[in-house]
Amino acid sequence: MAGVSTISTKKEAVSDGAEQSQVTQQSLQVAKRLEKFKTTIFTQMSSLAIKYGAINLGQGFPNFDGPDFVKEAAIQAIKDGKNQYARGCGVPDLNSAVAERFKKDSGLVVDPEKEVTITSGCTEAIAATMLGLINPGDEVILFAPFYDSYEATLYMAGAKIKTITLRPPDFSVPMGELRSAISKNTRAILINTPHNPTGKMFTRDELEEIASLCKENDVLVFSDEVYDKLAFEMDHISMASLPGMYERTVTMNSLGKTFSLTGWKIGWAIAPPHLTWGVRQAHSFLTFATCTPMQFAAAAALRAPDSYYEELKRDYMEKKAILVEGLMAVGFKVFPSSGTYFVVVDHTPFGQKDDIAFCEYLIKEVGVVAIPTSVFYLNPEEGKNLVRFTFCKDEDTLRCAVQRMKEKMTK
Amino acid sequence: MEKLSAVAKTLTPSPIQELSFLAQRRNAINLAEGFPDFPAPSSIKDAAVSAINSDFNQYRHVQGICDLLARKMKEMHGLDVDPQTDIAICCGQTEAFASAIFASTLIAFSSYFLLKAIESLIFHARYCAESIFVKLLYVSTAIDPGDEVILFDPSFETYEGCITLAGGVPVFVALDPPHWSLDPQKLINSCTSKTKAIVVNSPQNPTGKVFTRAELEIIAKVCCTSDFLAITDEVYEHLTFDEEKHISLASLPGMQKRTIITSSLSKTYSVTGWRIGWAIAASHFASAIRNFHIRITDSAPAPFQEAALTALRSPSEYYETLRADYKWKRDYMLELLDGLGFQIEYKPQGSFFVFVELPQSCKLSDVEFVKELIEKAGVVAVPGRGFFHAKLPSEKLHRAGLDYHERYIRFAFCKSNATLATAWQKLNELVDSTGHLRLFN
Repeated sequence: MAGVSTISTKKEAVSDGAEQSQVTQQSLQVAKRLEKFKTTIFTQMSSLAIKYGAINLGQGFPNFDGPDFVKEAAIQAIKDGKNQYARGCGVPDLNSAVAERFKKDSGLVVDPEKEVTITSGCTEAIAATMLGLINPGDEVILFAPFYDSYEATLYMAGAKIKTITLRPPDFSVPMGELRSAISKNTRAILINTPHNPTGKMFTRDELEEIASLCKENDVLVFSDEVYDKLAFEMDHISMASLPGMYERTVTMNSLGKTFSLTGWKIGWAIAPPHLTWGVRQAHSFLTFATCTPMQFAAAAALRAPDSYYEELKRDYMEKKAILVEGLMAVGFKVFPSSGTYFVVVDHTPFGQKDDIAFCEYLIKEVGVVAIPTSVFYLNPEEGKNLVRFTFCKDEDTLRCAVQRMKEKMTK
Repeated sequence: MEKLSAVAKTLTPSPIQELSFLAQRRNAINLAEGFPDFPAPSSIKDAAVSAINSDFNQYRHVQGICDLLARKMKEMHGLDVDPQTDIAICCGQTEAFASAIFASTLIAFSSYFLLKAIESLIFHARYCAESIFVKLLYVSTAIDPGDEVILFDPSFETYEGCITLAGGVPVFVALDPPHWSLDPQKLINSCTSKTKAIVVNSPQNPTGKVFTRAELEIIAKVCCTSDFLAITDEVYEHLTFDEEKHISLASLPGMQKRTIITSSLSKTYSVTGWRIGWAIAASHFASAIRNFHIRITDSAPAPFQEAALTALRSPSEYYETLRADYKWKRDYMLELLDGLGFQIEYKPQGSFFVFVELPQSCKLSDVEFVKELIEKAGVVAVPGRGFFHAKLPSEKLHRAGLDYHERYIRFAFCKSNATLATAWQKLNELVDSTGHLRLFN
């Protein structure tokens, strides 16, 4: 692997022979070095799923498609020739639609031109926020379990990560721990509500407490709210809507989960102008611009009537009921999930040594995929009793999965 | 409460985009931004529509793209590429390049990262900006801050920003006007113990230069001797004219294993807004790039990955017609500019840009000229100074013999023939009795 020698001050010519062994040595180093950047657990589980013909309740994307009216809008945009670079921060109509929707949801009025940035999915919103606003050595607080890309992206930004663990059964925020962890050295705190993988939704009390700590210590909040429309047991609250918080919060969201179009990669970050500036800088070097025709379609999507969102919730609640009842009947300890399309369970009644072993058993012996949650913690030990199931699948698939588990796992 | 990262503070908005806004306000003919104003090929659009209708709308990786690209690399450059391991699909060449830069700076963190991995602690990306150098010193003991990446000047504005964002130091090697030739000595003199990689954009934006085999051999020799990486931007690979054929640096002896090729659908198939690009490299690089990309955007837009299969299967006639059409536009543009009094000393061999110098008689700088052109003729182009990186104020440029940094204008000819004709007509309204632009007197 030429060109990436270990830290050395002299470059020397290398003969082919020497280069060969250097390549092998450095290949090994790359593998270790990029530990945080290995193939994700999702890809690994999905490959196993295909190999064993297992029903995939692991990866969080639907096996049904998005609404026709949004797909038609994309098709129309392609036909109308909207196939060239969009403005870097977003197609103006989409920026407006995002601002309109945000006003409806949170009551906040934001300037679509100065405070909304369109990105390739919420994933890129997170990456651009971290790279644009975090300096190497800055301290960032995360709640574990966390979506795995947070950790990797914070690494790239050079942050020092501190995690606060949310624990079963209700995954509430341990305020004492948070109060000890947060200080004037903290640059930002990342919250994900509704929360992947637990389905927890941050309560108003929790958000207010976090907010007051942030204001005291001058800490930013990065809020990942992709599942905000999948809020079942309580109303979703945006941190940015709390008094004094808009000026220090980046609110991130996307089209994918709400409209079952996870492959379109339309996301956004909403933040006051002084924070948006940093996000936009990083964004311009990460992807420069976001997919044009899909942006036009997204604007149509975001203007969907309330009935769309009500039906979405109803459908998902029905699916959730099938899965949760099924999992309980099989013998899992199921933790209550207020939002998202995930549910986390304790697998220990089935006697496997840890979550990864359990997931492998589940795929090979039962034919169902779940995700081991240990990957969502800095310390994998903390997640070894838990696995995550998703219910963003059609009802037949869910019933079939439950059936398989009942047949193979109940005594 | 300015919470921007130190690096984000140093980055500036795209001058090309700002001029575009002025052009929009004036309703000017846009010969500035590098994207077509004619439609993308119908077969490719139809493929995208069909993909959306067939429910290809969730996260995906379309392996077929890799298979087709591997075949293309073999046909065009004689390269043997493993489609299973050597290709990463990204959101445009921009993301492929960003991923390549970040992945290679990660790779360079050898012993330091191992140390930190053992402690299960954090990996610090390198930022070279002086204001945070001090912070870096106390957290990292084994890193070399400021690894250098060589770029050729003039060059597309994004590379520098991306390298800086990833913690590298861009080092510019000037190509010599008027033919933008590579002086081997300048290249060698720019290499230091901190140099890690060279970026080669060919065919080149803004000059339209296509690096010759001899020039690529010089670059290859430096890379092989000094053990550098090479990262190429080959987005204009199918837009070459006259006798020039695009040669990929990776195809030279000793280069494939150390070169990361980046390219995309955008320019070849006139779909700059679809964001489908790729990186092709030795498997350990491609794997690092893929894993990086997954954390940045996770997936390139799914329906357009499907459509890419159709695009990449285009028959050879498609590329021949593409080349012929663009060549006609290039010739038209050159004729127009020559007639207006520009000094055309270099005929671009590739890309869809011409980079021309203001005549001696013109007292205006590039920026002043472009502003006048927008306001008086309703035509917009790009002042060349944004592509040069001497970072000197005008007086110093003059003393260094680098006046030309403020004398070049980039015109894009990726526009319909009707647009080009309108531009011709509008510009000719501004000429004097000799047929030259009045702005030049």
